[in-house]
Amino acid sequence: MATQKPDRFDEVNWDEFSGSNRFNFSVNTIGMLLTSIPWLALGYYNYEFVGPREATFGFVNNGTTLTNLDFIFGFTLLLFFFYLVLPLYQNPRMTRYYWKEFKRNRPAVVSLVWLGIVFAGGLLGPLFIKTPTQDIFAGYQPPVYASIDSAYVSRCLGEVRAGQCYGTWQYPLGTTRGGEGVFKTIIHGMTISMKIAFITTTIVAIIGISFGTVSAYAGGWVDEILMRLVDIVLSFPTLLFFIMILYVYGAGLAMFILVFAAFAWGGMARYVRSKALSVSEEEFVKATRISGASPYRIVRRHIVPNTASSIVTQLTLLIPGFILAEAQLAFLGLGDSSIPSWGQLIAAGRDPIDFAPWIVLAPGFVLFLTILAFNFVGDALLDALNPETEAEAEK
Amino acid sequence: MSADEPLLSVRDLTTSFRTDAGTLTAVDGVDFDVGEAETVCIVGESGSGKTVATESVTRIVKEPPGQVEGEVLFRGQDLLSMPESELRAIRGNNIAHIFQNPQDALNHCFTVGWQIVEAIKVHQNVPDKEARAKAIDLLDEVGIANPSERFEDYPHEFSGGQKQRVMIAMALVGNPDLLIADEPTTALDVTVQAQILKLLNRLQDEYGMGILFVTHDLGVVAEIADRIVVMYSGKVMERGGVYDIFERPAHPYTQALMKCLPGRGDTTTGIGGSLPDPTNPPDGCRFAPRCEHAVQDCQIGDQPEEVDIGDDHAVSCVYYRTGYDSSVVADETMGTGTETDQEGPADD
Repeated sequence: MATQKPDRFDEVNWDEFSGSNRFNFSVNTIGMLLTSIPWLALGYYNYEFVGPREATFGFVNNGTTLTNLDFIFGFTLLLFFFYLVLPLYQNPRMTRYYWKEFKRNRPAVVSLVWLGIVFAGGLLGPLFIKTPTQDIFAGYQPPVYASIDSAYVSRCLGEVRAGQCYGTWQYPLGTTRGGEGVFKTIIHGMTISMKIAFITTTIVAIIGISFGTVSAYAGGWVDEILMRLVDIVLSFPTLLFFIMILYVYGAGLAMFILVFAAFAWGGMARYVRSKALSVSEEEFVKATRISGASPYRIVRRHIVPNTASSIVTQLTLLIPGFILAEAQLAFLGLGDSSIPSWGQLIAAGRDPIDFAPWIVLAPGFVLFLTILAFNFVGDALLDALNPETEAEAEK
Repeated sequence: MSADEPLLSVRDLTTSFRTDAGTLTAVDGVDFDVGEAETVCIVGESGSGKTVATESVTRIVKEPPGQVEGEVLFRGQDLLSMPESELRAIRGNNIAHIFQNPQDALNHCFTVGWQIVEAIKVHQNVPDKEARAKAIDLLDEVGIANPSERFEDYPHEFSGGQKQRVMIAMALVGNPDLLIADEPTTALDVTVQAQILKLLNRLQDEYGMGILFVTHDLGVVAEIADRIVVMYSGKVMERGGVYDIFERPAHPYTQALMKCLPGRGDTTTGIGGSLPDPTNPPDGCRFAPRCEHAVQDCQIGDQPEEVDIGDDHAVSCVYYRTGYDSSVVADETMGTGTETDQEGPADD
């Protein structure tokens, strides 16, 4: 034999190879595991051993009550941190490039700032601002600098001039009929909107990406079965199903998120499949296959990253739909009335709209801005993330 | 395993694809060997099944619609009957590929360094740092200047020739015994072609690997080949050492290919006609419809059996059978220009 290679392939121990890489985790995965496992364990403890009305940390006695949804929300936040934010930090060169492309779109930058405020408010607000409580005597207080006819308020907290009740800084955006602060409710509504955004995104992304890529890469009858399943999901009357569930189990926020996310991934799966199909025809996928990579590795390391830009864009355009759907259902009285969401607030302002318009206007404006911001950001991301625009220019 | 057993031995390789128009047999019963540290070139015009033949070796032809039959022995093990998981350990490790279009073969989402590290990690369980050091060594080895800086660059920041060098670096990660190069120089301009061929020659000496080289460019063949396999329409027309084929091409098809080379013969001419329909190939010799010497025997039965005309030089043409006058086709021999020996190559 002409070669001096010691490890001829027929002398290689194949078990060694099949086991390789299994425990070679990236920093991101290690971080994710280290943080999410205790968090989920705590969630399980909370679910299994703590009564529904008891505080989670009863033993430290600070009164914090966390619901199952909070634990899921926290988990999705960890996912986003370790697989979206951290990679951006680890790859400063691409991040700079994306940012350069992104900031060309001014409205999108403003939108991003707004979404940052909503995110921070939703995450940190509830820690500093207590849940709005009913106070019958503080009903229909106007926002600061605005006024209302004293006839509508049972007790004016601010000064009364010429039969008009003026607002105070205690309730910067006024109060509802029940005396709940509109500002406080909006802050807590941010939490709810963020929960909807993050949890639905995670569910839709995971199911949609798995179905789309598996379908595209496997082909044949697997593709056929998965895509027919997508057809069923897409044609499913989600709203009717949700209303039915609502009458049977009640309309919790968790149920809303679960039902709507469970039937919204169809479009995502189809979209990812079409993208993945074109990517898997690319020469570099063949090159990777030829270099001995397993199908999982090819999908995970080459096909998903190459479709990621479209996935991210698609998701940012999907989120406003969910937030809007929640508001609409709440407005129609089909939502979870126990939570201070924007939709609930708008619904509460429906009747007194002629004399207390701030109850509708304030959350309506916030909702409108948030939806708009998601659309602008999605649009700018499409331009910034799409590698094809650059590749085309290269040719 | 005997000492003269070839590195790669392909026997009766048949690759067919099921299409709406019927079964398309791209490679039809092809045999060839590649020895240790030897370069074998598969030559033929576009559509003659060269690429499919090489992709069938490691079975990366999509199945279905494709179907690969026959026997591919790599160091005595049959790759075609091997389960996919074992095959994966051979691909990229013992048998590596490089392609025609390096710009498409690199993933434009990631840095070049990441991709080489990725290729290393497919087969070797090494820490990131070590993989990175090895990747930089490999980039240096294939002649990329400032390898540790270029490591962080994206494919679009490399020129075509550099991308092909990167592809070669990726192919080298497993110290392959066999490198399958599918028209690696076709997309490059002539000066870069020469550099890449030189690089391949040097690496072959260094690593002692066999190379299975696919090309339609006879100029490239002359640079690199030890032995040549001439394919046409999924069949082997002629095989032999590089000097034998260039000095006395025996098959009319090989001769026609030689005539297409600029600077050989009086005028450069094309081969009249076009490749036969692969779903419905003609009877007899596949080249018969385009061959100026075709006689009735050429159009019946199967492709003629290969006839050994000495020095491991074999040709699949009826004129070399007993009872035919091989000088009819041998007279057409062009010679190399300096070669004056115009005698009939074989006497039956």
